[in-house]
Amino acid sequence: MSVTKLAYYPGCPSDATAIDQDMSTKAVFEKLGVELVEVEDWNCCGAAEVEEPELVYALNARNLAIAEKEGLDIVTPCSICYYNLERSNIALKADDKLRAKVKGIDSSLDYNGKIKAKHVLDVFVNDIGLEELSSKMSKKLNLKVAPYYGCYIGRPPETAFDDPDDPDSMDKLIELMGGEIVPFSQMKTFCCGGPLMMTRSDIAFEMARKILDTAKSAGADCIALACPLCGMMLDGKQADIEKALHVEIDMPVVYITQLLGLALGIDAKELGLNKNAVDTKEILGKVV
Amino acid sequence: MIKTWELDPNFKEEIMKERGGEHLTACFQCSTCTIGCPITEYVPSYNPRKIIQMSLLGMRKEVLSNPDLWVCLICQTCTARCPQDVRISDLLSAIRRIADKEAEAGNIKIDSSRPIFDKAFQHQLEKYGRLYDIGLAKEYYPKREGSFFKGMMAMMNDYKDFGMRMFKKGKMGPKAMFPEKVKDRAVMKKIFEEMGEK
Amino acid sequence: MGIAIIGGGVAGITAALDLANSGYKVYLVEKNAELGGKMAELAECKVGLSPRVVEIENHPNIDLMLSSELESLSGSAGNFTLKVSGTTVEAESVILAPGYDVFDNIAKSYGFGSPDVVTSLDFEGMLRASTMSGELLRPSDNKPVKKIGFIKCVGSRCQENEICSTACCAYTAKEVWVVKERYPDIDVSVFYMDIRVFGKDEELVAELKDKYGVKYIRSRVPEVIPERGSLKVKYEDLKKGVIANLDFDLIVLAVGLLPSKTLGRLSEITGVKTDKYGYVETSITSPLETNMPGVFACGTATAPMKVRESVAQASGAALKAAILSQRTEPIPGQEERKYIEVGDEQKIGVFICGCEGEVADSVDIPAVVEQVKQLRDVVLVNGDTNTTKEVLEAIEGGIVDQGLNKIVFAGYTPREYENIFKDAVAKAGLNPYLLEFVNLREQCAWVHDKAEATVVAAGMLRMAVGRARYLEAIPIEQYPVIPKALVIGGGVSGMNAALGIADAGYDICLVEKGPELGGGLRETGELQSGEKASDVLKELADKVASNKRITVYKNAKEENVSGRAGSFKANIVGDGVNEEIEFGACVIATGAKDVVPEGYSGKEVITQAEFGKMLGGTVSANTIAMIQDVGEGVAAKYSSIELVANALKAKEKNPNLNIFVLYQDIKTYGKWEALYKEAREKGVIFLRYENAPKYEGGIVTVFDVILNDDVQIKPDLVVLSTPTVPAEDNERLSKMFKIPLRNGFFMEAQERPKMVLTPVDTVNEGVFICGSAVYPAMIDECMAMSTAAASRACVLLAKNFMETPAVSSVVDEQICVGCGVCVDVCPVEAIELTEELIPVVTFGVATVISGMKKVAKVGDGCIGCGSCASYCPSGAMSLKHFRDRQLYAQLDYAL
Ligand SMILES: Cc1cc2nc3c(=O)[nH]c(=O)nc-3n(C[C@H](O)[C@H](O)[C@H](O)COP(=O)(O)OP(=O)(O)OC[C@H]3O[C@@H](n4cnc5c(N)ncnc54)[C@H](O)[C@@H]3O)c2cc1C
Ligand code: SF4
Ligand code: SF4
Ligand code: SF4
Ligand code: SF4
Repeated sequence: MSVTKLAYYPGCPSDATAIDQDMSTKAVFEKLGVELVEVEDWNCCGAAEVEEPELVYALNARNLAIAEKEGLDIVTPCSICYYNLERSNIALKADDKLRAKVKGIDSSLDYNGKIKAKHVLDVFVNDIGLEELSSKMSKKLNLKVAPYYGCYIGRPPETAFDDPDDPDSMDKLIELMGGEIVPFSQMKTFCCGGPLMMTRSDIAFEMARKILDTAKSAGADCIALACPLCGMMLDGKQADIEKALHVEIDMPVVYITQLLGLALGIDAKELGLNKNAVDTKEILGKVV
Repeated sequence: MIKTWELDPNFKEEIMKERGGEHLTACFQCSTCTIGCPITEYVPSYNPRKIIQMSLLGMRKEVLSNPDLWVCLICQTCTARCPQDVRISDLLSAIRRIADKEAEAGNIKIDSSRPIFDKAFQHQLEKYGRLYDIGLAKEYYPKREGSFFKGMMAMMNDYKDFGMRMFKKGKMGPKAMFPEKVKDRAVMKKIFEEMGEK
Repeated sequence: MGIAIIGGGVAGITAALDLANSGYKVYLVEKNAELGGKMAELAECKVGLSPRVVEIENHPNIDLMLSSELESLSGSAGNFTLKVSGTTVEAESVILAPGYDVFDNIAKSYGFGSPDVVTSLDFEGMLRASTMSGELLRPSDNKPVKKIGFIKCVGSRCQENEICSTACCAYTAKEVWVVKERYPDIDVSVFYMDIRVFGKDEELVAELKDKYGVKYIRSRVPEVIPERGSLKVKYEDLKKGVIANLDFDLIVLAVGLLPSKTLGRLSEITGVKTDKYGYVETSITSPLETNMPGVFACGTATAPMKVRESVAQASGAALKAAILSQRTEPIPGQEERKYIEVGDEQKIGVFICGCEGEVADSVDIPAVVEQVKQLRDVVLVNGDTNTTKEVLEAIEGGIVDQGLNKIVFAGYTPREYENIFKDAVAKAGLNPYLLEFVNLREQCAWVHDKAEATVVAAGMLRMAVGRARYLEAIPIEQYPVIPKALVIGGGVSGMNAALGIADAGYDICLVEKGPELGGGLRETGELQSGEKASDVLKELADKVASNKRITVYKNAKEENVSGRAGSFKANIVGDGVNEEIEFGACVIATGAKDVVPEGYSGKEVITQAEFGKMLGGTVSANTIAMIQDVGEGVAAKYSSIELVANALKAKEKNPNLNIFVLYQDIKTYGKWEALYKEAREKGVIFLRYENAPKYEGGIVTVFDVILNDDVQIKPDLVVLSTPTVPAEDNERLSKMFKIPLRNGFFMEAQERPKMVLTPVDTVNEGVFICGSAVYPAMIDECMAMSTAAASRACVLLAKNFMETPAVSSVVDEQICVGCGVCVDVCPVEAIELTEELIPVVTFGVATVISGMKKVAKVGDGCIGCGSCASYCPSGAMSLKHFRDRQLYAQLDYAL
């Protein structure tokens, strides 16, 4: 295995709404023998709300620079963080002037373009590799899973690490764990609506509902995903959606790190599976 | 009736000067972006292709005050598919930034709460270096609703169930009442001073 | 030595035949095990290609090297040494024709793996299969297809392949046409960005829309969504301003063309440069030459293009290569031939070919063989062959070894194969008029089910054997070929054709009706390559003037043309001359003319050509409106290219200039797409209209369908793209040379909506056409076409003698459906439709009179040009010897 140590960028929701994702990520990497070193005093990546690209670049230059000092690539479980970190990385690497300008703000932003930012899913499937993962799995997931990728795994092209329309890295991982993929191709990369949650919740709810409905009618036991914002929309807000749109969904939503943790034989509690908003007990029953 | 001589032929250059707006003129109006955009299903008037054509023509005012600018999800579907590498998602962001400046200057009115939200969000980062949900809500809702009281009501409405749910699951404990702060807050301030919207 | 051709697609095949048929040794290198390239995979096309493949396989001058690849090239022009899969080949020149590959990196959003989303190439295969089965079936469940959506520009005009693939708009139209012809009830929609078709294809698209009800919808469709058993396509309804959707049960992706994957290596081996798109680099004034002297390129190796253009380039490249080479081989058909005397004893041999399954699958050949064996005078029946090569060998063997003196061949259509078979029969020593053709494939196998087909086949053969009994040997007259050509028109095409023929060693009369050489290009300022048009013209004119083989007649006209291929006569009448000349071949290159569209007036209204010239000086304007596609006439192929090129030059002079382009379709095909992109990037604004823009009181008003709103512009300059009309003289030349016109432009022979394999040949053998006289085209295409016309002329001039063809058309009244297509295409109005009582033969049982039906009747005026035969949709028309014609008329009733 080539990766043994990575800088860990947890992202803002990691100690609140996505604490379960944070817990499971840490547990899985520990089990895999990969040391995670939290980016010291990391700051927010800018999420979707900071529109000024240079501001995003500067914010992330700091995070990247901290990891660079450690000589480690950054891994993050959040798709938006990944997108912001890596696009900043690309922009800074390509543009000396920009790098100088950013460095001029503060010496702590002195980033030399020596590392990469990675999404956990990318690390699992492409760096650690399916073979290695498989060798460490001790449990089988008898689950029908709808793999939901959201926006920044296959898009935009320069940061993508999977197909833009029909990505399959998570599919492969789930199948490896014994899970079955339900027909879900067209929803895999449909936006969860999250970016409009606070300003047009009507639209955001409808979009999330479409994803949940599709998973449900495809017969999924759960949705697997890899982003805390998606998790917030599909899991955290699921009850609100049910109420607002007068529907009953009841679709468990889990992070891919949680599923992987289960397959690796990690205790459900350690993976935060008691913290998902929609109850996950039924799923746990199908892990043998 | 669009009278081209009354429009602003420099608008396209104005957009292209912004980061993300550089590829505006590559567009050949093929509709790919609009057809694949998930928002069109919910906002039928939404049409990035048309926004681009209007921008090319120089319909500055109409474009900048178009509320549809603010429902883009930044989902990048359009960017991934555009045959001409227009980078629509980034382009719309560039246009929104111009619109925001114009609104700040009092030249246009934006019919969307998104700029208010985005600013409230950024203020948290500027102050703490990380997102502080409650601080964000406390700034956003009153501004959106126009009064502190109405804002608090709206916030309650949106959050009472959700907050309870998160609390029960141990995702929003007392710790969440206080901001998680970056130690080096001085640098946050500097970053926003240098790179933030002026 | 000889000429090595790399690539055996339609381009390589064409070049090989032109060269071999004029006495050059050819090494044809093909990496696959079969010839034909992509065209062999296309529906409808194989039919036209196969006879050429057969000709090559049997050609004494061609060394066919299949499953072979070029490994190295050394030496220089006139003296190359090639290593081809271990074999050493010496050649004086090399032609590269490695063709193209189709775009295959298709986004998964197109159907997410549904089997009912197919590429156009797959679809060609489906169409071919449906020729046999009679049904078009959906791959997923084998149910008949009801609704098809065609999505264009898949893998073209995009980031992965910046340029336009040129062929796909036209081939899509063809595919749609085939679908609608065969299955009128299938509902078809085509999603497009710009419809980039020209001339005949443009008419086809108009017909598809108007007559066949095909919906052309402007949207570049990015995804196909499988939903409840059908395929959903979302598109933008510009008029309603909404995203609409349609359901289909089959989606065809019109995939783009890419340079052949082998071209990179070929370029390394040969040193031939490729351009930034990966195609062989050529220039617009010498489109067939590469950077390596003696190495030429043609077909889709140089740019994406259709068969017509590929073939023209191939003929052109053949001539270029020939000029550098020595003629070393005899020309087929030019040898002394002695025919065996046919006595009283009839020895009829019948050969029924399985046609690679196309006949064998529908007709029970052994059963037919048994029946035919019973017929009087039949001494041999062979039903064992399956390919043309096999059957040709069998026939030759039958004549030589068994003394057969009448041959009945049943299988392929006589339309394309007759000459090959006649030639083979003649070579074996039998007078070629003793051959009788039965078109089992088209007229029987393709139209009947198996039981029926077998009965029909037996009946058709019975009739054919009956006719064969009456066939008589016809003495074949020979006359010498006059090694001299007449070129009509002194524009670039005419001059270039004349130079090509002269370089090949023949004398030329070049007749120009005006006082100067140069033609339409004199009106052009700068070419897209940056060269001055006047410099290009001067170079050509100087070469013409100094070439001793070329006699130029200015202010002159040709009159009183008579004679036939190889031996024409005409008078050249002009300023103080009236000379009779004799010539073996003629090239018509009369060009075309611009017309200024009506409805736009004012001194600020100019044409693109005028604007082009203005760009040489100062342009004092702030706002320019360029209007395309208005006015009567045909839009030249260069119309959009000229427009964007001029817009770019204007922007270069004054970046602040506001340029609005009002258009219907921007047709910057092929590599010209890059200019369109550059124009947009430089800030030129494009507005798309459906109804012609108005210009009143200094204001242009246009309804922009893209914005769904009226847009007004106050221009200081209105620049019109001018439609073109044919040269005035075409009408007169058409009558004199008996070459039909289409919209006033000369028509090529073997004209069919599907494809053109003989772009510069005409129905009048020995008369060739090129340049804007055929279709107003870009200079590179005019250069390629005129070299092609020269090449075709030289193939003829290389012969010592020709044989008198005494043929005319006959109608098989049984099959004729009375559609009247032939009436329209006959250049000499020799056909009329008549209402007749038609007996229908029910084979073997009785003759039943079916009643009145419309049938074509060929009159005595027929010149045997073959147009009607190639156009006839039912295959009822074919060419026969005069005598046969009368014979047929009598016999078919008698039998
Ligand atoms: C779906 C589809 C439908 C079409 N329909 C039409 C139509 O209806 N009408 C029309 O006009 N055009 C049509 N076209 C375009 C048409 O196919 C081309 O114009 C034409 O086939 C080009 O011929 P070519 O000889 O240049 O290339 P190819 O047909 O590609 O032939 C090239 C040959 O060279 C061989 N070769 C390649 N590299 C080497 C090497 N290194 N050594 C030896 N041999 C080599 C290849 O094996 C191949 O046999 C269509 C195209 C497509 C994709
Ligand atoms: S997809 Fe790109 S080229 Fe097409 S309309 Fe949208 S921005 Fe323009
Ligand atoms: S980024 Fe915005 S415009 Fe583009 S597809 Fe997503 S929502 Fe539509
Ligand atoms: S516009 Fe060009 S690339 Fe697109 S389908 Fe037509 S010919 Fe092909
Ligand atoms: S072959 Fe005869 S009848 Fe047929 S089109 Fe030619 S001239 Fe007319």
